[in-house]
Amino acid sequence: MAKTQEETSETLPEGASWEIELNRVGFVRRLLMARRWYGVDWWFVALSAVAVIGFIIVALFPGLFAPYSPFDLVGPPFLAPRAHVDMPVLIVPKKSSVKNLQGLAVPPEANRPQVSVVEGYPTAGALDTESQKIDEQIKNQPGGLRLRPVIDRYPSLQEALHAVVDGQDSASVVQESQFKSVAANFPSLREAVPIQGGTFSAGGFLLGTNDIGQDVLSRLLWGTRIALTIGFSSSLVSLLVGVPLGLLAGFGGGLFDRLLSLLMDSLYAFPGLILAISITAVLGPSMLNIIVAIAVLYVPTYYRIVRGQTLSVKEEVYVEAARSIGARRLEILSQYVFPNVIQSVAIIFSVNVADAILTGAGLSFLGLGLPPTMADWGIDLARGQTFIRTAWWMITFPGLAILLVVLAFTLMGEGLMEIYNPKLRER
Amino acid sequence: MPEDILYSIRNLSVEYKTRAGPVRAVDDLSLDIRRGEILGLVGESGCGKSTIGKALMRLHEAPASITGGQLWFDGRNLMDLPARKMPDIRGAEIGMVFQDPMTSLDPVESILDHLTETVLTHEPKTREAAARKRAEELVERLGIRRERLKEYPHQMSGGMRQRVMIALALALRAKLVIADEPTTSLDVIVEAKILDLLKELQKEFNLTILLITHNIGVVAEVADRVAVMYAARLAEVGTARDVFADPKHPYTQGLLRSVPNIKLNSGELYKMGGQPPSLLHPPSGCRFHPRCPQVMDICSKQEPAFEPVVGDHLASCWLYQKTIAKRASEKKEVRNG
Repeated sequence: MAKTQEETSETLPEGASWEIELNRVGFVRRLLMARRWYGVDWWFVALSAVAVIGFIIVALFPGLFAPYSPFDLVGPPFLAPRAHVDMPVLIVPKKSSVKNLQGLAVPPEANRPQVSVVEGYPTAGALDTESQKIDEQIKNQPGGLRLRPVIDRYPSLQEALHAVVDGQDSASVVQESQFKSVAANFPSLREAVPIQGGTFSAGGFLLGTNDIGQDVLSRLLWGTRIALTIGFSSSLVSLLVGVPLGLLAGFGGGLFDRLLSLLMDSLYAFPGLILAISITAVLGPSMLNIIVAIAVLYVPTYYRIVRGQTLSVKEEVYVEAARSIGARRLEILSQYVFPNVIQSVAIIFSVNVADAILTGAGLSFLGLGLPPTMADWGIDLARGQTFIRTAWWMITFPGLAILLVVLAFTLMGEGLMEIYNPKLRER
Repeated sequence: MPEDILYSIRNLSVEYKTRAGPVRAVDDLSLDIRRGEILGLVGESGCGKSTIGKALMRLHEAPASITGGQLWFDGRNLMDLPARKMPDIRGAEIGMVFQDPMTSLDPVESILDHLTETVLTHEPKTREAAARKRAEELVERLGIRRERLKEYPHQMSGGMRQRVMIALALALRAKLVIADEPTTSLDVIVEAKILDLLKELQKEFNLTILLITHNIGVVAEVADRVAVMYAARLAEVGTARDVFADPKHPYTQGLLRSVPNIKLNSGELYKMGGQPPSLLHPPSGCRFHPRCPQVMDICSKQEPAFEPVVGDHLASCWLYQKTIAKRASEKKEVRNG
């Protein structure tokens, strides 16, 4: 009787029906079904995974998302997020037919047009630059028109505008906001266009501009590429070095293990950022050197975890059982120890990527990592720090970006492991 | 070596190096395992029985090492083989079933991988499909449906995992299976099933099984012969019938009296006095003498020989020493006189 009882209990599949279903579906379905018993954790993982994928896409194609080049001076400096751009505009009499700056061009023998500006504003400079640009374009075209305005400087806005009303000057270039404030007093004048034309949009910059007029958003997006490159490649390098060393030391033991552990422990005991600083100081600032410096920093992390895990796994009964069925040392290492150890490596990896991004940003922040011309979050942070009272957006957004990336990688790594680990699936 | 003996252990010594000094877990022990028998090796915890099991395959790693003796298996002395040849014998000719089926399977490998890997390790030319087919046949014979082969160890019950372990030991038709406490962590019903299975398989495949256990009831149920171990040495060896019906060594006698029995009339269960000796500093003479109810003067002074008492029934006790005992007592008289 005992026999039949046992047989029924063993021939029938065990567990609840959803558990059997689970074994029949693929990885993606399993991930979706995991929501049922991981609850809030699952949502953390899902959201952070979406964020990580998003960051990776941005890092691969920053040009598709960035509105401007990260290096060009595309707008006025210190422009707050979404603030209106106060641009120099061309003011002409209402009856004039001039539509834009090019409309002031005249034949070479004619009198050069006189344009009034207000002293103490960057309008004269802008006018000069733009006219030269247009002049270069048109002077060789048929007709031979030239644009070489004579700039009349006036001490006040009123005088500059009155000069146009009086017909003394043919046009005026003033800041848009200034003209708006007095436009009602000059009914005979009208605003033509911003003289700088299409260089930047009048809608402002989503995240503002920095101290030299670069777009913060564009630099942020291009910075993703550098941050992820540093994070992934340095973590990968330390993984490729640390994991084999840890496996060999833990499995082999002996003098090799002792010496290597001594070395790794001293590396580990050394304050991380200071070590990275000294390495980059010796190697000099470049992307490759930063990756090497951070990789050195995290080799002990992998080494210690892998060595510890190897030490405990090799004492497991299943390793002894493997030996009892004739597995050789290399087979035990590769087929029994390694698969049981690599799970914890995967967790460290994602957390490590986050950590490496943080350290990389730290190095650039200190001015030790990348050449200051690059679009990097750390560099932007360092720059923004100087202007934290006047331009909060310069330091806030790169800081937020670092925070989000680090958070996403950490949450995703730990969560995915929970779901994918067959040992944990038992619960 | 006679043909009917599959494995002959000759003067085996195994030592563990500890900070307090070397511990001899097996001390100068000799034992024959005959072809086609189930030999039960019983003894209390720490007496060295599992150490013997591992030593038979030379599985020991530092700090343990075999310090002396010969291991004659099927006509070869395994101690003469270089260490790198041992993996060819492990699994292929000697299989092992471990105590705890919960931890003796690799958690990240499916049952099928366990089995095919065993086959492919020893027979690299076997095709994957053939190995798979063999695995399926084997587990079906052991009472596991073949659909469950792709499952992982954590999805199986203890009894099923132990069946898988047995399948692993049998996958290559090992001649000798060492079962080290195979049922200790299982409940009684599953234990009975596994023992029945072992017995069936032994007949079917003409296996030789060394059953290592502390459970004397298990031995009584399945073993043909019994070896009783005490403090790194053998106390008594004989057929199961002889040993259980007429135990010679006082230790075996005490052991059998201390097994709970439903027919036990007298209210209290027998308790052996004292405690197992430390193998770091084993007692002089007969190692059982500090606990022996029939202790004599000579017991603490001189070690008794392991001698036949009646026919095939051997014991190591001064109560039965014929030749040496006489000589020793004569000497004593001379000295006294």
